Amino acid sequence: MQIELRFFANFREAVGQKTVHREYESDLQAGDVLRQLSEEFTEMDLFEDGDLREYLTILRNGTDITHLDGLETALEDGDELSVFPPVAGG
Amino acid sequence: MRPDLDPEQLDRYSRHIIMNDVGPEGQAALLDTDVLVVGAGGLGAPVLQYLAAAGIGRLGIVDDDVVERSNLQRQVIHGDDDVGRPKVDSAAEFVTGLNPDVTVDRHELRLARENATDLVADYDIVVDASDNFATRFLVNDACTLSGTPFSHGAIFQFEGQVTTFSGDSPCYRCLFPEAPPEGTVPDCATAGVLGVLPGTIGCMQATEVVKLAMDYGETLEGRLVAYDAAEMSFEEIPVAAKPDCPVCGDDPAIASVADASYEGRCSLAED
Repeated sequence: MQIELRFFANFREAVGQKTVHREYESDLQAGDVLRQLSEEFTEMDLFEDGDLREYLTILRNGTDITHLDGLETALEDGDELSVFPPVAGG
Repeated sequence: MRPDLDPEQLDRYSRHIIMNDVGPEGQAALLDTDVLVVGAGGLGAPVLQYLAAAGIGRLGIVDDDVVERSNLQRQVIHGDDDVGRPKVDSAAEFVTGLNPDVTVDRHELRLARENATDLVADYDIVVDASDNFATRFLVNDACTLSGTPFSHGAIFQFEGQVTTFSGDSPCYRCLFPEAPPEGTVPDCATAGVLGVLPGTIGCMQATEVVKLAMDYGETLEGRLVAYDAAEMSFEEIPVAAKPDCPVCGDDPAIASVADASYEGRCSLAED
């Protein structure tokens, strides 16, 4: 199944593009995708002691996964997963 | 409120006053509103321009920096002759020059745990136009704990984000509970920023303040707009209250700004 991954701010720089479409096996959870990204891109430092870093907002189809099932949030074909860090510039 | 506008004001604000949805009452409300703008930089510049022009009655400006030449690519209220001057002086001059109706309070200081609560208490609406996480978390906490509505805007290279918090729940910490470790998210000085970007985001913040002051329209409460100048796209991200939010949640750990530290992660104070 296909998932659309979207990156904002410094994570866009880390990945080199705003949007990436990826094929995954079924029975996929948000945490699986995020852990894989963290290993693939050294500048995507998403985890701290196995937990998602507190300051990150991860959105599944626009909804913060902390309001769903967190890292166990199930993903379906066609879902969009966004990695949204805070930015401070002004 | 009794619209008590003098002939010069009727002229200056005539394009507001002739609108049915603003009218003399709306203009009087703007003149009766006190707004604190935290930061007189990239975002603060357009915010101050449009709030001054709109006739916000009193504008407080908080900034402890001086104007640098590298600011002028985007901080349009400061001029070449202002390099080296305190930003609050240059900004106050701009505001008064544009609209003598506006009372300006110059706060040449850095927002800190010691002054934030008192400063915020003196204004109706706060604009977060700052450039660092410590100030952003402090603005959130001081405003949310006092029930003061505030506008949030932030920029990074070609991207901007803007939202409005009512001073109740949700708050900025529902979205981002703590600051990233220093150095992980670069600032404008290290990452760069498209000069016109804060113009767009700052104008949206000023729009929100004007609506809040007139109690008109739909604000961005409950949704964050993410703007991408590179592809000229806007998308909305819902902002929902988190029950375990340290400031506005069910059992908040931060009951006063004294409970948090605004260095490093901006989380609970160690002591």
